[in-house]
Amino acid sequence: MRGPDVAWYLAVAAFLFATGALGVLLRRSPLIVLLSLEIMLNGANLALIAFSRLHGESSGQIFALAVMAVAASEVVVGLGLIVAIAQKRLDLDVDKLSFLRG
Amino acid sequence: MIIAAWICLVAPLAAALLITLLGTGISRRAAAYVATTSVLGAFAAALVVFAKLWGESPSTRSHPSTAWEWLTAGSFHVGLRILVDPLSVFMMLVVSGVGFLIVAYSIGYMDGDDEERRYFAYMALFVFSMLLLVQAGNLVILLAGWGLVGLSSYLLIGFWHDRPSAIAAAKKAFVMNAIGDATMALAFFLLIQHRQTLNFPDAFAVGPGHGWLVNLVALGLLGGAVAKSAQLPLQTWLPDAMEGPTPVSALIHAATMVTAGVYLLVRTHAVFEQAPRVQELAAGLGAGTLLMAGLIALVQTDIKRVIAYSTMSQIGYMFLGAGMGAYANAEFHLMTHAFFKALLFMAAGLVIHALAGEQDIRKMGGVGRLMPVTRLAFLIGSLALVGVPPFSGFFSKDSIIAAAMSRGWYGYILFAAALVGTFLTGLYAFRLFLIVFPGEPSPFVREHLMRGSHAAGMEGAHGADASAPHDHEVHAHAGEGPFSMTAPVLVLAVLAVIGGWIQFAPLWHPVSDWLEPVARPLAEPTSTQEALASLFAFLLSLAGIGVAWLIYGAGRWRVPKYAFAQRVLEHKFYFDEAYDLAFYRPAVALAKAFGRWIEGPIIGGSIKELAAAVREAGLGTGRLQTGLVRTYALAIAASVAVITIVFVAVR
Repeated sequence: MRGPDVAWYLAVAAFLFATGALGVLLRRSPLIVLLSLEIMLNGANLALIAFSRLHGESSGQIFALAVMAVAASEVVVGLGLIVAIAQKRLDLDVDKLSFLRG
Repeated sequence: MIIAAWICLVAPLAAALLITLLGTGISRRAAAYVATTSVLGAFAAALVVFAKLWGESPSTRSHPSTAWEWLTAGSFHVGLRILVDPLSVFMMLVVSGVGFLIVAYSIGYMDGDDEERRYFAYMALFVFSMLLLVQAGNLVILLAGWGLVGLSSYLLIGFWHDRPSAIAAAKKAFVMNAIGDATMALAFFLLIQHRQTLNFPDAFAVGPGHGWLVNLVALGLLGGAVAKSAQLPLQTWLPDAMEGPTPVSALIHAATMVTAGVYLLVRTHAVFEQAPRVQELAAGLGAGTLLMAGLIALVQTDIKRVIAYSTMSQIGYMFLGAGMGAYANAEFHLMTHAFFKALLFMAAGLVIHALAGEQDIRKMGGVGRLMPVTRLAFLIGSLALVGVPPFSGFFSKDSIIAAAMSRGWYGYILFAAALVGTFLTGLYAFRLFLIVFPGEPSPFVREHLMRGSHAAGMEGAHGADASAPHDHEVHAHAGEGPFSMTAPVLVLAVLAVIGGWIQFAPLWHPVSDWLEPVARPLAEPTSTQEALASLFAFLLSLAGIGVAWLIYGAGRWRVPKYAFAQRVLEHKFYFDEAYDLAFYRPAVALAKAFGRWIEGPIIGGSIKELAAAVREAGLGTGRLQTGLVRTYALAIAASVAVITIVFVAVR
C-alpha cells in the first residue's frame, strides 16, 4: 500500500465534516447551509473510501457512490426550494423562514 | 331431471343479474321480456321435472342433489342442496306458473314507469328466491330462500321509494318478518345441536323422549310461518304491504310468498306431529286469523286492502288445514288460492289502472258497465274465493273444513270457526264486487272511463287519502288495458274456474295421492263429513252473498250501525296500537333514558375529557417545533455527539 497512512485521510475527512457542520450551524443563508451539507457528505465519503482502500474491499466505494446520488437529489430539491423562496421575494435567511413553528 | 330443476332455479337469478348488470344498456321493454322469459323458462323446466317425476313409482320420488359443500363446522355439514320431490315440484309449478302470468301482466301495468328495469330485476329476484325456498334440500338453504323472499318483498313494497308510506310499509314488513326469521333460526340451532344435520328429512327425526325440545323447535318454526304468512299475531304488515305495485301484491302478497308459511308447516310436518299441541296451536291461529281478517275486510274501503284481508283469511284456512294434518288439502287450497287471488288482484289492478290509480271503493261504482271483461274476471274470482261450486275454491276449501270435522272436539270448534268464515267470505267478497261493478257508473268513474283521455281529472285521484296513488300509476288507458294485461287475467280466470276440478274428495284425489309420499295426512274425513261440510259451507256462503246483495245490491237493508264494532274493525282490532304501546313506546322511552342518563354524561363526557387531554398534549409537544432550521441541526449534532460519547464510554 502506497501513499499516506489511512489516519491522514481520516483527519482530512474529520476536518471537512467539522467545517460542514459548523457551516450548517452558524450560517444563515440557505444556499450556504446546503453547500455546507455537501461538504459534510463529502467528508463522510472520503472516510468511506479510505476505509475501503484499507480493507481492500469495494463496498465502501459503492456506499460513496450511493451517497453522491443522494446528495445530488437532495441538492435538486434544496435548490428548487431556494429558487421558489426567492421568487416569492422572501428573505433568504433560515432564521426568518420559521413558518412551521408549533 | 335434476338438471331441469337446477335450470328452473337459476333462470330467474340469471335474468335478475343480467338486467342489473346491463343497466341502461337494454331498453325497458327488453328488461321486461328478459324477466318474463326467464320465469317462463323456469315454468317449462318445472314441467319437465314434473313429467319425469310422474313417470316414477311413488316410493322413489325423492331426489336430493348437492351442488357443492357450502360450509363445514366439525361434524356439521351444509351443502347447497336441493330436493326434488312431489311437494317441491308442486310448489315449483305454482310459483313459476302463476309467477309467469303475473310478470307478463306487469309488462302492461308498469309500462311507462321510470324504473321498470329495477322492477323487473326485483321480480326475477323474487321468483328465484321463492324457488330456492321451495326447492331447498336442507333448512339452511330454506332459510336463505326465506330471507331472500323477505328481502325482495321489502324491495318491492318500497318500490315507489319517494312515497313515505311505501317506505314505512316496507320497513314494517321487514321487521315483522325478521321476528319470524329469528325464531326459525333458534329452532334450527336446537336441531343442529340435537341432530347434527339440517337435511330433509333426517333433521326432523328428533325421536321420543325430547318433548320440550321438539315443542320448542315446532314453536320456532311456527313463529317463522306466522310471520311470513301474516297470521295472528304477526299479521299487521300485510295490509300495509299493499303500498307496492298491484302485480307485486298479486305475486308476493297473495299467490306465493305469504303461502310459504303453509309450505313450511307441510314440509316440517314430521316435527309438528311430534309436538301435537303446537300443531293444534297452528290450526287455532289459522282459525282465529280467518275470522279476524274476514271481519276487518267488511269495513275496509281500499279495494286492495279488502283483498289483502281476504288473503289473510284464506291463508288462515290453509293453516287450519295444515294444523289439522290435512296437508294435501292445505296445499291444494294454496294452489287454487294462488289462481283466484292473483286473478282478483290483477282484475283490481285493471280497475285501478283504468281509474288513474284510484283505490277507494267509495268513489267507484258501475265500473262493470265500462269494463265488462274485468267485471267477469272479478266475478269469477269472487265466486271461486267464496267457494261456490263449480269454482275452484269450493273443492279446496270445503275439504279443509271437512278435515277439521274428523279431528275430535277441537276440530269441531275449528269447523264452526271455518263455517262462520265462509259466511264472512261471501259477505265481504260480494260487498266489494257489488260496490265496485254493477249499476250506473259514478261521476268519478264516468270522468275517467268515458272520455278516454286522461289529461284532466287527476286532481280527484291525488291527495285523497294517505295511500294516494303514485304518479307512475297514473296513466289511464281507455278501455280495459293492453293485451299483455288482459290475457293473463283471462288465463287465470279459466284456471280459477277449472283449477279445482283436479281433486274432488272423496271421488278422485290426485293431489292427495301425489303428496302422500311426502306428507301422509292425519285427517281422513269420511264421505259423510265431506258432504256435510260442503253443504254447510255452501249454504253459509250463499247466505253471505245474499246478505251482501240485500245491503249493497238491492239496497233493501241498511248497513247496520254499531259504532263500537265499527270502530274496533276500522282500527283492525287495535293490533297496531297495541304493538305501538307494548314495544315501540317502551323502546323509545328506554332509548331516550339511555340518551339522557348514559350517553350524555358518561360516554359523551368521558370522550370530551379524553379529547381535551389529547389536545393539551398536542399543544405542549407543538412548542418543541421552533421552525428554526438551525435549532434542529443543533439538536441533531448534539444528539449524535452524545450517542458517540456513550458508545465510546461503553466500549
